[in-house]
Amino acid sequence: MLTQFKFPLRALVLGAALSTVCGAALAAGSDGDKLAEMQRKLDQSIQMIEALSARVRELEAHQAPAKQAGAAPATPAGVERLDSVEQRVQQMEAANANRHADDSSLPIHGFADVGAGNYNPLNKELKGANVGNLDFYLAPKLGDRTLSLFELNFEVSPDGTVGVDLERAQVGYQFNDQATLWVGRFHTPFGYINTALHHGGWISTSLRRPKFVQFEDHGGILPIHTVGAWLTGAVRSGDGKVLYDLYAGNGQEIIGGVLDMRNAGNSHGNPMVGGRLGYRFGGKLDGLTLGLHGFVDKVADDFEPTDYTRVKMVGAYAVYDTDQWEHIAEFYAFNDEDLSGGTGSHRSEAGFVQLGYRASWGIPYLRYERASLQQSDAYFAALTSLNSGASYYRNALGLRFELDAKTALKFELANTHTTDRAPDQYNEAQVQYAIRF
Amino acid sequence: MDPVARSLPALAALMALLAALAPGVAVASGAPGGARLADLPQHWRDDDGRELALAHLAGQRVILTMAYASCHKLCPVTIASLRQMQRALDARGEQAQIIVVGYDPANDDPSVWHQYRSSRHLNRANWHFLTGSAHDTEQLARALGFDFWKYDEHVMHGSRVLVFDAHGVSQSALGPETPDWTAAL
Repeated sequence: MLTQFKFPLRALVLGAALSTVCGAALAAGSDGDKLAEMQRKLDQSIQMIEALSARVRELEAHQAPAKQAGAAPATPAGVERLDSVEQRVQQMEAANANRHADDSSLPIHGFADVGAGNYNPLNKELKGANVGNLDFYLAPKLGDRTLSLFELNFEVSPDGTVGVDLERAQVGYQFNDQATLWVGRFHTPFGYINTALHHGGWISTSLRRPKFVQFEDHGGILPIHTVGAWLTGAVRSGDGKVLYDLYAGNGQEIIGGVLDMRNAGNSHGNPMVGGRLGYRFGGKLDGLTLGLHGFVDKVADDFEPTDYTRVKMVGAYAVYDTDQWEHIAEFYAFNDEDLSGGTGSHRSEAGFVQLGYRASWGIPYLRYERASLQQSDAYFAALTSLNSGASYYRNALGLRFELDAKTALKFELANTHTTDRAPDQYNEAQVQYAIRF
Repeated sequence: MDPVARSLPALAALMALLAALAPGVAVASGAPGGARLADLPQHWRDDDGRELALAHLAGQRVILTMAYASCHKLCPVTIASLRQMQRALDARGEQAQIIVVGYDPANDDPSVWHQYRSSRHLNRANWHFLTGSAHDTEQLARALGFDFWKYDEHVMHGSRVLVFDAHGVSQSALGPETPDWTAAL
């Protein structure tokens, strides 16, 4: 049963809803046109409030005698008017909610992390606290089918210098649910983690990537980014989905010992092409994904004379990701052909296995990673920055705690052996505080 | 100075006061108080592919959350809390409709949710896993204060549950800060 108390409450609600509309309008601008528009809206709102207040007073007046006479039910006319008022209030609230739903502004999201460690293998005199990444993720909406994605990363390199990188800048067109074409700079689709777990430290269970899959300027040996075109999609098949990726982009170059994706085009004009094909199981094998990947890339270095290597990689990956387990394995086999030095072909391989268990209190994980890289291969020999082209193996044990929905605390102990160039071994203890926002 | 412009600060202050006092405003700002199922987008499909309009649930208590099927961080925790609420309802001999709206309709179609239910033994008839258009999904999320964004194949989101009364009006919002979700029933 409706009470007198409800009428002023409704009016208050209405007034508040209007206040939100007007408050936002007040903040929106300060020029003359906007002021005039705000004035008009305020006038309309005040008139509406006054009209509704008058109706409420009228209805209250109708109900008062009835209550005095023994709280008899409201008259049919009163109920009708009350319904009308309620309807108006609901319409106002719905309109106000829709105003927010139509908000087309660009929210800024991203990730950041800070940490500390006992050992910096690349700058042995450095230890202690460190700043990781500040990663801004922008995905402005352009239309129903036109997509865009930009990722701007402020990162601190192992020597402490701060760099800014436009990690991704891609514009796409979605033909349908099964096919999207991206053009620009994107994460090269090989393996699992390179497209699923990228710059945001928070998003990955482990504190860091396997060393050989690190970003190009952080000691990685793979073309983590490609500048070109990428066709991707998923097609339902049986209980699961077939996942496919095809891409072509600028052939990479090694500059200053670092693999470079050539944002503005390469000097030899040869492309890199590759693909990935996987199957994500459903039903009883839900959570399991198996796939194959490969690419061919003509890579030049900056030596004089320039060395050209045709880098051919094929491999496989497997993921088992459920509410309880997160297991990831990736394998890469290289068969690189020396195009300028006449040393023939060179075979190398790299891979890792990471096993994680999602306990209620956290996620412990184990990782083993190994890279056996032929030093007679001009490609790996030229990757000198951060000793990235050296062979190694590493055992790591880590733990991730969720402090809340947006914050994770991670620990990792690792033992690394470098097995060629300058053989070495070192132990690391690291902590990372990673957030998303 | 224009008299209208002079009066604007006072009017803004008054309205801010009203906004602070009136629960209805919380709907627009994403808070739950007073949100109505009838005002939300209505075109949804359940995991059997059947049409379901939220307004048709009026007359029953409704517990609503959002999730995505490949989430292994927060969604399993939220679903576990819904199970707890279901057990509490059963113990009291009470009923409610439990609604899980998909954040990611591009990947989570009804068949995906059907598998999700089946693999997690969420077979109660009063549980509904809904898929809608991307636009409707965003609109519902905004109206009910579910903040989310997509990062590649992931959906960044929080843990949130709304409880609607039998009139389809939201009564409470539950989150990680809520000590006992069953107390809201």
